[in-house]
Amino acid sequence: MISISNLTKKFDSVIALDDVSFSVPGGSVLGLLGHNGAGKTTVVNILSTLLKPTSGTATIAGLDVTTEGDKVRRRIGLTGQFATVDDTISGRDNLVLIARLLGASRRQAAQRADDLLTVFDLTDAAKRPVRGYSGGMRRRLDLAACLVGGPEVIFLDEPTTGLDPGARLDVWSLVESLVAQGSTVLLTTQYLEEADRLADLITVLSKGKVVASGTAAELKREIGQLSVNTVLAPGSDTGAALAALRAAGLTPVTAEQPDTIHTRVLSSADITVVVRALDSVGVRVTDVAFSEPSLDDVYLSLTPGRGATTAA
Amino acid sequence: MTATVTSGDVRTAQVGARPNWSASSILTQVQVLSGRSLRTLVRDPRLVILSLIQPLVLLILFGQVFSSIAKTPGFPQGIGYIDFILPALLVTTALTSGLQSGVAVTTELRNGLIARFRSMPISTGSVLLARSVADVCRSFVELSVMALVAALLFGFAPPGGITGVLGSLAVAAVVCWSLGWVFMAFASWLRQPEILQTIGSLVTFPLMFASKAFVPISGLPDWLQGFATINPLSHAIEAARGMAMGKPDLTVLATAVGGCLLIALVFAPLALRSFRRP
Ligand SMILES: Nc1ncnc2c1ncn2[C@@H]1O[C@H](COP(=O)(O)OP(=O)(O)O)[C@@H](O)[C@H]1O
Ligand SMILES: [Mg+2]
Repeated sequence: MISISNLTKKFDSVIALDDVSFSVPGGSVLGLLGHNGAGKTTVVNILSTLLKPTSGTATIAGLDVTTEGDKVRRRIGLTGQFATVDDTISGRDNLVLIARLLGASRRQAAQRADDLLTVFDLTDAAKRPVRGYSGGMRRRLDLAACLVGGPEVIFLDEPTTGLDPGARLDVWSLVESLVAQGSTVLLTTQYLEEADRLADLITVLSKGKVVASGTAAELKREIGQLSVNTVLAPGSDTGAALAALRAAGLTPVTAEQPDTIHTRVLSSADITVVVRALDSVGVRVTDVAFSEPSLDDVYLSLTPGRGATTAA
Repeated sequence: MTATVTSGDVRTAQVGARPNWSASSILTQVQVLSGRSLRTLVRDPRLVILSLIQPLVLLILFGQVFSSIAKTPGFPQGIGYIDFILPALLVTTALTSGLQSGVAVTTELRNGLIARFRSMPISTGSVLLARSVADVCRSFVELSVMALVAALLFGFAPPGGITGVLGSLAVAAVVCWSLGWVFMAFASWLRQPEILQTIGSLVTFPLMFASKAFVPISGLPDWLQGFATINPLSHAIEAARGMAMGKPDLTVLATAVGGCLLIALVFAPLALRSFRRP
């Protein structure tokens, strides 16, 4: 449904996308995972015909986004990274406006708006100006707005960034129900958990380059089987601990808290290697556990230049 | 606020119904989009009220302080200064209204709304066209209020009567519309409301004051007279004034309207081109 090949985008001297290729089969969700500045929004903007690529091609349902923009626009729905609704009018008026622009009659537009308001749980706030909506309500309206025309392909650029956990769960369940009705979704996110939960396929973008892609399971397999997670006693010398593990031939990474170290190992017997290495430099350990690799590990090992992530 | 009440199945059924609408015409697009801008003004008329303050202050200033000009030699005989100045104020206020079109474009480019429109199967041109239609309507209302206030409080009663005043309002609307394209072109190109405001004052002040707006052209210093003669606003002011005085001069009117159309013809394509740029 979506196919991108050798896409490059330069902004003057900044290379926002560097030879990016991937495709999204119809009816599936692709999670485009990357830090701020990785190039996610640039991909979405090119696909939604807002930006022209410097080179390479992108097609949606076989239609080239640069030369057949009009036909592409009939099939897509965009929810940008920042709210793209009119603050000054009510939520309902926003949806009616979009439906009318898409060719609905007054009656059809009103009907469609009311349906979507019910589904997105915005009926109570329907007549109030959007200016007074909470972040979660605004996001839901934004999602509703991109669905007005019943698009085949939906772009969601960081749909849950900045939302509280409850609102985030809401958005997740809405995205899941969209997929259940057969839409193709390209979702960008900085959250591994989100990609893991919603996406069938994940493409990891770092500094404009695709550094990994595949299903969540494939990515995990690629990165190793097991890791030993050690929690160091308070006040321990993390630097010395990392050095000792490296000296023992292992590849440790620090996790969200600097006192927790993930070390990839090949078998469970290697736990003794880890503990001995830490013991040799006098670092005390308060907790040791095995874990299956998480997307965090995938992410940390594939996207250089950032230590810990703060992903939930 | 968490957990939507609707169950998954119902939700899917409702969202999933793919509407089968046929594409909207440009006319509908312009109508829907300009209707949106105008409705915002009806709900929140502060902008209209605020935009009337500057011209009313000018009216008081010029009407009261400089009315002695009407007694100087060279000033048309038998005409009150208020009748002389008001048509000019209508035109210069229309110019500032045009500037507001530009400012509105910059804010909408910023808040992402335009990005959504540009990802939809509608003409980009209708977004700008709707803006200009809505702003001309708004401006027409503002200017009518101004003329009414002038009539009630300052004794504005030009020889041309109501028809004459409506004629000058129409000239002012043409000015608002055509100069609106100039400012929308700058807005789409620069995309910063602050810079646009600065450019706006840089452009509007010379156009306003080095014109036939406030004094007859012979009252200006020599070096300004040349500019005032070619200043497109001068022609529009002369045309509006002629209407109000009940002595419309067709040549002047044609020059004024033609000049405005020419300006729009040059700047509308420029505005569209910059507007399409991401
Ligand atoms: N309009 C632009 N002009 C110049 N640089 C840009 C522009 N848009 C994006 N960039 C740069 O391109 C890179 C990718 O940006 P973006 O696609 O927004 O990343 P993400 O959405 O992943 O945070 C960044 O380095 C950003 O600074
Ligand atoms: Mg982004």
